Amino acid sequence: MSGETPPRDPVERVIELRLPSKLGYERVAMDTASSLARRMGFQPDRVESLKTAVSEAVTNAIEHGNEHDAAMKVVVLLTARAGELIVDVADQGRKPFDHNQTIRRPVIEEVLEQDDKGGWGIWLIRELMDEVEFSTAPSGGNQIRMVIHLEQ
Amino acid sequence: MMLEDELTVSTRECDGVAIIDLSGDVTTFAEEKINNAYHEVTSKGARHVLLNFRQNDYINSAGIAILIGIVTEVTRNEQKLAVSGLSPHFQKIFRMVGLAQYAEIYQDEEEALAAFKRQA
Repeated sequence: MSGETPPRDPVERVIELRLPSKLGYERVAMDTASSLARRMGFQPDRVESLKTAVSEAVTNAIEHGNEHDAAMKVVVLLTARAGELIVDVADQGRKPFDHNQTIRRPVIEEVLEQDDKGGWGIWLIRELMDEVEFSTAPSGGNQIRMVIHLEQ
Repeated sequence: MMLEDELTVSTRECDGVAIIDLSGDVTTFAEEKINNAYHEVTSKGARHVLLNFRQNDYINSAGIAILIGIVTEVTRNEQKLAVSGLSPHFQKIFRMVGLAQYAEIYQDEEEALAAFKRQA
């Protein structure tokens, strides 16, 4: 990422969660995102899509980025803007994103033949959110930014 | 804090269909329970298997992977699989992933049982 730094959002529009890297805590992020989105006026089906995307992003950060080390934090930023909700999820990057994983579309016929039936998370995030961007934090952690627009 | 395991799985039989009731969250922690229930009904000779969800509000990609594992076994064992009781969101997810090609989706248990009866 380069160019001008965008203006910072007013603090009162940003919710920050610092979650232990333990499976189950992704629910806290889901519930918070869901509560905020409903208050912003998102339709129930869009709230459901957001919950799935947030849970997948946080689960990825717990399992891959922070390798289940409960002492490492997953940081979730929820930014409510006029007409959109932005969700940033960052881990502490023990293991960087595999770029191929971020663009791959799993095919069920192939998955059925494999021992590993997983790998759907990032693809689901891309399908369900309006904008998705992967990046690396200056500290080396993985970051994913997801945006969902209100008008749809 | 109970954040890990919030799934109840039970099995019953109705009109020749083995019904596996899934109430709660379907995540990585569900694997053993779901596989055990499937193996139990299969060992009793089930030909028709219905995964009956209870409008579960959290099924994640690890849960989807478990269900794809069931599809693999159902195919191998020449059984017929259907699902019911999914919320509209998870019906959509099942279709997106392609699970709907392998397991017919019904609104509820009654609709699924009626369909199994027609096929019998």
